[in-house]
Amino acid sequence: MDIDTPPIHLLQVCKAYGKTSVIEEANFHAKRGEFVVIVGRSGSGKSTLLNLIGGLDRPDSGKVLVLGQSLATLDERNLSQLRRVHLGFVFQFFNLIPTLTVAENIRLPLALNGLSKKDSILRTKALLEELFLTDFEKRFPEELSGGEQQRVAIARALVHEPAIVLADEPTGNLDLETATNVLELLNDACRQRKATLVMATHSHEMVGHADRVLTIRNGCLKDIKI
Amino acid sequence: MNNLLSTAAQRFYFRHPWQLILAIMGIALGVAVYVGVSLANDSARRAFEWSSQLVLGRTTHQLVNAGGMLPESIYYDLRTRGIIPNAAPVIDEELRLASQPRRRFTLLGVDPLKETLFRGTTRSIPGESASPAALMVEPASVIVPESLANELRLENGSTLNVIAKGKMARVIVAGTLKGMGLDPNGSSGLILADISTSQELLNLEGFISRIDLVLTPTEAENLQLLKPAGTTLLTATSGNAAFNELSRAFRINLTALSLLALMVGVFLIYATMSFSIVQRRPTIGVLRALGVQRRELLLNVFREATVLGLIATLAGLALGHQLGQRLVELVLRTLGDLYFGSYVTAISPAIGIYWKGALLGLGATLLAALAPAMTAANTIPTVAMSRAALERGAKEKGLLAALVALPAATIASMVLLLGPENLIVAFVGLFFVLVTGALLTPLATVGLMKFAEPFVEKFFGISGSLAVRGVTSSLSRTGVAIAALTVAIATVIGIGIMIASFRASLVNWLDDTLIADLYLQSDVQVEERGPFTEARLLAIQDLPSVEGLSLSRLRRLQTPDGELNLRAMSPGPNGWGLSFVTGNAEEAISMLESQQGVLVSEPFAFRRAVTKGDLLNLPTPNGIQTFSILGVIRDYYTDGGSVTISLDTYRRYWEDSGLTGVGIYFAASALNRNIQPAVESIMGSETRFRLLSNGTIKTRSLTIFDRTFQITEVLRILASLVAFLGILNALTSLQLERTREIATLRALGASPRQVSMLGFVQTGLLGLAAGLIAIPLGTVLAALLVFVINERSFGWSMDFVTQAKPMLLGLALAVVTALLAGLYPAVRAGRLNIITHLREE
Repeated sequence: MDIDTPPIHLLQVCKAYGKTSVIEEANFHAKRGEFVVIVGRSGSGKSTLLNLIGGLDRPDSGKVLVLGQSLATLDERNLSQLRRVHLGFVFQFFNLIPTLTVAENIRLPLALNGLSKKDSILRTKALLEELFLTDFEKRFPEELSGGEQQRVAIARALVHEPAIVLADEPTGNLDLETATNVLELLNDACRQRKATLVMATHSHEMVGHADRVLTIRNGCLKDIKI
Repeated sequence: MNNLLSTAAQRFYFRHPWQLILAIMGIALGVAVYVGVSLANDSARRAFEWSSQLVLGRTTHQLVNAGGMLPESIYYDLRTRGIIPNAAPVIDEELRLASQPRRRFTLLGVDPLKETLFRGTTRSIPGESASPAALMVEPASVIVPESLANELRLENGSTLNVIAKGKMARVIVAGTLKGMGLDPNGSSGLILADISTSQELLNLEGFISRIDLVLTPTEAENLQLLKPAGTTLLTATSGNAAFNELSRAFRINLTALSLLALMVGVFLIYATMSFSIVQRRPTIGVLRALGVQRRELLLNVFREATVLGLIATLAGLALGHQLGQRLVELVLRTLGDLYFGSYVTAISPAIGIYWKGALLGLGATLLAALAPAMTAANTIPTVAMSRAALERGAKEKGLLAALVALPAATIASMVLLLGPENLIVAFVGLFFVLVTGALLTPLATVGLMKFAEPFVEKFFGISGSLAVRGVTSSLSRTGVAIAALTVAIATVIGIGIMIASFRASLVNWLDDTLIADLYLQSDVQVEERGPFTEARLLAIQDLPSVEGLSLSRLRRLQTPDGELNLRAMSPGPNGWGLSFVTGNAEEAISMLESQQGVLVSEPFAFRRAVTKGDLLNLPTPNGIQTFSILGVIRDYYTDGGSVTISLDTYRRYWEDSGLTGVGIYFAASALNRNIQPAVESIMGSETRFRLLSNGTIKTRSLTIFDRTFQITEVLRILASLVAFLGILNALTSLQLERTREIATLRALGASPRQVSMLGFVQTGLLGLAAGLIAIPLGTVLAALLVFVINERSFGWSMDFVTQAKPMLLGLALAVVTALLAGLYPAVRAGRLNIITHLREE
């Protein structure tokens, strides 16, 4: 990928569910290391936009380019490969694997990428320390609080050093104080790694931390802060 | 509120139609197996009773000549003296069709005028023209089974060529006997004739087989004192006592197998119902939080289970009816092959079995549903909503189950070691062994998974760990299904080892006993020398390849304790060919040769409770003779029991020079072993005999053996099918429930193939765990079947052969069953809509 190629580039993207149009002719690009927040009401299409960028869904028309590659040209196997190597996800409900310990949950993307167990453990340990999770290493998700679980989810999203991190309402399930902490952690970690962070949220609390804020209303995507 | 609760339950099933179908199929199959086998058993029992009734009727006693046929004069003498007011002479001999000589019939020669008093045959003859009396009008007339008449298109007046005592004869059809269907292998049937016709056909003028009697106890006592020397007075049922006992043992075995299938079926019903309730635990928790009372919840579950149970039970009854129709053929054929070899035919089954099946299906469904519903309803709502709490509870229950296994194992050991030596007690012990195994399964699964995790992780990486943990973390859903699969596979392994042991013992026994190269067998029971005349035997002996001959005489003896097979033998150059179980072989044979006693077969020793050193009374033409038992020999041929005696001793006491079999031994140096044409030429075309090589006899014996165990195979397959459905239900539900986890993995970059593989590895591990646990359980089961059940059922001992094949087959069956069951969920996991399921709880 060329250094100038935007990690994320949307061209005239449209998406509808049945007769309901969710995204209409959206154009958007994000730079390397940029923190982009997408705000909008529940059901406005924020998650759909993230799903399209993450290759979890396909647009009805238009182009989604991730790291210069049109997702339309990729089959399911290559889409999985793209997600595995270049993308990190943080979900509202954490989506940790209940049968894996904290360390194992974090190590999972490395394992999926075929990194040796020894190396993946080393990288996991470093991240556990960075995100203040060392004490929880051997615990299972059910034994953690919401904030702790989301920190684990952030660690999982960053452990394989992805170029892009997609966060869908990552603080929607947390209290304000915890949410702020989690957000700062996510932001700092992404900036350190020069990863592009795209976060969907219905809350305006996070706007101040972002490089760019986009709003989505009636399917239209607009920049509101540059 | 109630309506809403019902609606919620209905919609749960409408949204999970596969689960509804599997639940109905699971319950239905459980009911069907029980009903099917019970119907077959009941039909066989009543068929035998009916056939027995047709031959015996109201007969209370029978007077027989221990030495063979009874002179007819005895009948007239006793009648004239007024000792036996209600008596009828009977001929009961074998008859074959000339066109199909291998098909055997029983020729029942009766006095038509006395039939109304004695038997039910009168009621079985339709039409006015054909009553037993019609047999007296037309010479050589017979009444044949209706099915035979239909098959051969016989009408009244048609002629039929038969073979009686090895001679061809022609009889005339005078009517048909209703409902006397041929059994599936076509070897049964009863042909009715007038006694004089029978005597003519069989060349038995002046002789009868027995006198059937209807006696009061006083008359019986009187006759006991006044009966002529050489005759024996039997109660009408004693002759059939051994058969009854054998068929009872066979049926108990079948019932036990059906109960085993039922046990797996109940497991399945439990797994199905408890799963559907466990799945809705969070909903139940929410409902409880909303204020729904426990009672209301339970009532709702009760209603749901009743509807589901009713539908499934009805389907199960219909399926069981069909299954019963198929199984009864197998049961009757086996009973026919093994015990009766005669006129057993299918009978319409008792309605009570359907009621029992219905009660069972509905009862098991209700119990299975209520247990988890009560647990959920009694739990604090927040806990009920938490999956983690549920799994923690499941692990605790697994531990508790393992603790409960201890008393179950103790009961099993006590029942088997200290309980009375009774077949039903043995099955109770066996049941507790299986219960112990089932209770230990969850804990053993956890242990096995812990042990397997490092290896699986090495091969499959973290996906392997995920799969292993998936097995242990879903015990609340899979525990019962794994236990059901384990029990089913243990049954398959246990029966497999038992059959392999039995077969291996049979092969060894055949090798030990069939030591002649060729066997000449007479087709008929003969009192005289029969086809084996001195001249013919000498001619065979003189053939260049022949080193020597062994001679045998097989005859049935009526004793007050039932019929027995007496086998008189004169050994050939390779010895006696006996396989001893008790007693010193050399010493016993030496005493047998010096005419100092007899040998008894294992089943005979078991049934008569005799052993080496005991004395045995045998009826001879000169009265009862007492013989010393020199040893007990293995004999799988006649399970009713046989007594072996030297031919010289037999001839001395029974004054009978007849032979029924000759063994031909080739000289070691013989080059030409194709002496069959020469032997056939010596025997002549007019005699009826069979010439078989020992290889043919072995093959035929093993064919009958394999056919005997066909029904066992069917039940094994059914048990496996029930377990398969159980595991399919559990795995499908489990995989569908874990969609969020799978969607997360997909979002993290796992490919469809990887998540499908994860599902496969998990289900494969589940099957592997069930299979591995089933191996020791199945081996214990096999040991019980070999050393306890078979000995108590049939008196047969056998070598315990722990072959790897049944175990590996069982293991493979468990893994394949689980993998097959996991196929659909795994494929579905690969095609999962990631977005939808990422947010779903």
